[in-house]
Parts: sequence; structure tokens; C-alpha cells
Amino acid sequence: MKRIVPVLGLCGLLAFAPLPAQGADWKMDPAGSKLEFIATFEKAAAPGEFKEFDARLRFDPDKPAGSRLEVTVKVTSADMNVADVNKEIRGKDWFDYAAFPQAEFRSTELRRIEGNRYVARGTLVLKGVKQPIEVPFSWTASADGAVMEGELLLSRGAFGIGTGEWTASDVIGADVKVKFKVKLRKAR
Amino acid sequence: MLRNTPDSWGAPAKLFHWVMAALILAQIALGVMAANWRVSPTKLELFFWHKSTGILILALVALRLAWRLANPVPLLPSGMAAWERAAARLGHLFLYALMIALPVTGWIVNSASNVPFRIFWLVPLPAIVAPDEPTADFVAEVHGGLAALLALVLAAHIGAALWHHFVKRDTVLERMLPRRAP
Ligand code: HEM
Ligand code: HEM
Repeated sequence: MKRIVPVLGLCGLLAFAPLPAQGADWKMDPAGSKLEFIATFEKAAAPGEFKEFDARLRFDPDKPAGSRLEVTVKVTSADMNVADVNKEIRGKDWFDYAAFPQAEFRSTELRRIEGNRYVARGTLVLKGVKQPIEVPFSWTASADGAVMEGELLLSRGAFGIGTGEWTASDVIGADVKVKFKVKLRKAR
Repeated sequence: MLRNTPDSWGAPAKLFHWVMAALILAQIALGVMAANWRVSPTKLELFFWHKSTGILILALVALRLAWRLANPVPLLPSGMAAWERAAARLGHLFLYALMIALPVTGWIVNSASNVPFRIFWLVPLPAIVAPDEPTADFVAEVHGGLAALLALVLAAHIGAALWHHFVKRDTVLERMLPRRAP
């Protein structure tokens, strides 16, 4: 008990201390958010979705410089709409659920491109592979929060998704489109 | 000699018959190989060709039936018994029915299993039933069963053609062969 009181006090101090970076904190509303990925299979779009993910954002649309974006994705929540495919992507050649259940993106720099369009540069860790990526997004403020939306192209090979005989890209294409729509509310 | 006559098949009918015969024999082999191959890019490739060829067969059989309806059908040789005529007609009816039922059940399997697919990389195949795993599994069994039935009817069909030629020594096989008009 004696030790808990000063700890609580410290937490209180931190909570009320001025934020080191600019902008408000935003929390994701999972109900209004979607993270999709679209692979190709013999040139046909093969859409999938990560059902569980979370985005945390510190962001001021007018002064994006001090902003920060962090996304965690529960890779094991992937759903590609086909029972046999969902079984297959768990394995070592694909997402390897057992070894890499989670993926993470952390921005290192966030800036405005023009108008309501921004780009977050940072690092994506997926299947244990770290790669710098750029995440472009649009920002639309609304009465009860904001929506960030965007899409980017990732090369599955860079992350070792589809190894061995699956490396070749003639049957399963090399590029995967990632699409997101994140509904945000101001955290208090 | 484009149109059929009471004695012989015209060139389009012969072309339809032999192009489709080649495609269907290849299609059965592709289906068996695709279904039994271990999961690998090769398996997906085999399925891609199986499905593309299957839809091509469906398109061709529609054209072929239209052409058949617009033409006389060569008469069967006069020496054939009533049961032989009936067997020939029934056999051909079965073959046409299977040439439609196989692609259609395959299409249903593809739709129910929700696998994305573009015919020969070009045209996305629209779904004709809603995604549903039990439906996909059941219709896959039907599809496989119909394919086995097709193989049986074809064995009889080819056997009958050879029997006409080598035993009965009539013109049934010859008039379907790609010969120039006499
Ligand atoms: C490869 C060996 C084959 C041989 C030797 C062969 C031979 C023949 C012959 C001689 C006829 C003419 C019958 C007549 O004049 O009344 C015929 C008709 C027919 N064949 Fe084949 N065939 C073969 C393969 C196939 C295949 C793979 C199919 C596909 C399902 C097929 C479907 C048909 C159909 C539907 C007819 C009836 C045509 C009509 O009445 O419009 N045949 N076949
Ligand atoms: C004349 C046309 C067709 C023929 C003769 C045919 C024949 C076959 C055969 C022999 C098999 C293997 C059955 C087994 O070993 O279990 C098969 C499987 C299959 N076919 Fe076809 N097929 C035809 C058209 C199509 C089409 C148009 C599609 C799809 C668009 C299709 C999709 C499939 C699928 C998905 C399987 C695997 C079923 C399973 O999971 O066991 N087929 N087909």
C-alpha cells in the first residue's frame, strides 16, 4: 500500500504534464475502421482483411510535424474469404501465425503533402522483417472525430510472405495493395 | 459443304466435334490432376487452366447446339436396330447434357468457395451462388460424380464409333472425320 500511493501520484503528474509533442491524442473506433489487403491470384484480385488492429495517433492537422502514428495489427485475424486459403496463410511460407502473430507500424516523421493529404514515414515490422515504408492518408474531420483513409502498395517478397516455391510471382502477384479506413475519436 | 446433309456432317459440325472432344479429354485430365496435386503454385495453375477451359467449353457447347438446331442431323444407317438408334440418341443427349452440367456445377463450386478467378486472366467470372462452404463441398462431389459419368459415357461413345467402323463397317465414323467433300 505504501508504495502504491507515490506511484499513483506520479501517474497523476504525468497525466497532467504538458504533452511533449504537439497535437491531440486520438483513439481508434474499431466499429468504423477497416484494414484490407488485396493480393492477386492469376491476375484476379484476392481481397483479404485484418479483422483486428489498432491505431493510436497524436496529430494536429494544422501542425503535423510533431505527430506520431502507431498501428498494431493482429496478423492472425487475417481473413481472405476462402476457407482453404485461410488455412494455408497460417503456415510458415505465408504469415507464420505461430512465430509472428503481430505486425507493427511506427511513424518517424509525419508531414502534409497538400490540403488534407498527409504522409507518415516509418517502419513496418511484419513477419519479423523491418522495412521503411510510407503511408499516405487523407484526413477528414467530423463533428464526433475524424477519419483517416489511404492505400499503399507493399511487396510481399520484402517481408518473406510467400517463401520457397511461392516466391515466384506469376501465380500469386508480387504486389499487395493495403487499404485502410480508420475512424478516430479524441482521447478525452 | 458447311451445312450438314442427311448423309454427312458439314465442316462446322466436325470442327465443333473434334475441337470439343480434344478440349474435354484434356479437361478431364486437368481436373483430376488439379484436384489431386499437392498444394503448390502448380496446383493453382492447373485449376486456373481447368476453370478457363471449362468456361470455354460451356461457351462452345452453346454455339454448337445453336448450329445443330439450324441444321439437319445426318440419319443413322438404315441397318441399325431400334434399340441401337435409341442408345445412340440417348448417348448423344447425355453427352450434351454433361457438356453443360459439368461447367455449370464447376462454376457453382467456384462461386460457393469464393475463389477469385478471371477466365484466361481476362474476364472475372461472376458468382452464381453465394459463398457457402457446405454448398461448395457438396457440389464439388456432384461435379466429380458427373465427370466420372462423362468418362463412362465417353468410353461407350468411342467404343460405339469403333464398333460402327470396324464391325458394322458402316459410314458413321467416316462421316464425322475431317475429310474433304467427295
Ligand atoms: C475421341 C474419340 C471420339 C470419337 C471416335 C467420336 C466419334 C463420333 C462420331 C463418329 C459421331 C457421329 C455420330 C453420328 O454420325 O451419328 C460422334 C457424334 C458425337 N460425339 Fe463424338 N467422338 C469422340 C469423342 C467425343 C467427345 C470427347 C465428346 C464430348 C462429350 C463427343 C460428343 C459427341 C456428340 C455430342 C455427338 C452427337 C453429335 C450430334 O448428334 O449433334 N465425342 N462422335
Ligand atoms: C466440361 C467441363 C468440365 C469437366 C469435364 C470437368 C472435370 C473435372 C474433373 C474430372 C475433376 C476432378 C474430380 C476429382 O478428381 O475429384 C474436376 C474438379 C474440379 N473442377 Fe471441373 N470440370 C469441368 C468444368 C469446370 C469448370 C468450368 C469449373 C470452374 C469454373 C470447374 C471447377 C472444378 C473444381 C473447383 C474442381 C475441384 C473440386 C474439388 O474440390 O474436388 N470445372 N473437374
